Amino acid sequence: MNKLSATKPFSPKPLNPFMLLLGGIFFACMSLSSAAQAQDLKGSAEAGKAKVWLCTGCHSIPDYRADYPLVYHVPKIGGQNSAYIASALQAYKKGERKHPTMRAISASLSDQDMVDIGEYYAAQNSSSPMNSLK
Amino acid sequence: MKFTTIYLLLLASIGLASAADIESGKKLIAERNCAACHGADYFTSIAPTYPRLAGQHEDYLYYALRSYQVETNANYGRKNAVMGSQAKGLTDPQIRNIAAYLASLPGPLVVKK
Repeated sequence: MNKLSATKPFSPKPLNPFMLLLGGIFFACMSLSSAAQAQDLKGSAEAGKAKVWLCTGCHSIPDYRADYPLVYHVPKIGGQNSAYIASALQAYKKGERKHPTMRAISASLSDQDMVDIGEYYAAQNSSSPMNSLK
Repeated sequence: MKFTTIYLLLLASIGLASAADIESGKKLIAERNCAACHGADYFTSIAPTYPRLAGQHEDYLYYALRSYQVETNANYGRKNAVMGSQAKGLTDPQIRNIAAYLASLPGPLVVKK
């Protein structure tokens, strides 16, 4: 019997706060790097042109209103910030935003699709041409 | 006669209750410091991941702020740390006023194919 075990009988070690902190930092870095990866993708408005066919059914109809019981005009997304559109689509896909139609659509989109769609809508203004594919 | 008076009063109160107040919305949005993220013009946001709000549909802005209040609702909840804490401090008329103010601002948002 050595001296150590005599003075310190086995007991579950309390969690070391320092290790907890390290673990926390590790996971924070992991999630940051995956967010950074999504942001590093470069969107293309030209590529987005062929990917917005699901969006146009609601978002390209002036004065279009949707949903029940709260009926409202679907948001204008032409001229919106590209990264916001991509992050909103991500939020629907992850379930942070619950809207069922948008969740179903975003589930079918890749990270690249989302940034392309973001760039496509961000490039729109009052004088930009209509989508030639629609 | 009496009935007509009461009826007119009731009608007037409906109008008063539902009319959003743009000036109150402007004051409130300044107090809440929304411009710190969304930009002083509510168009030039400080980060591209934050939305442009100026000129957005009034009823959509109302819906979006309400959705942060009911973040787990299966049909229109939205979960976002910053917007959640902002929206939960607002009453329904306050949200209507903010939405009315933002929708009244000139903005570049368009509806296009």
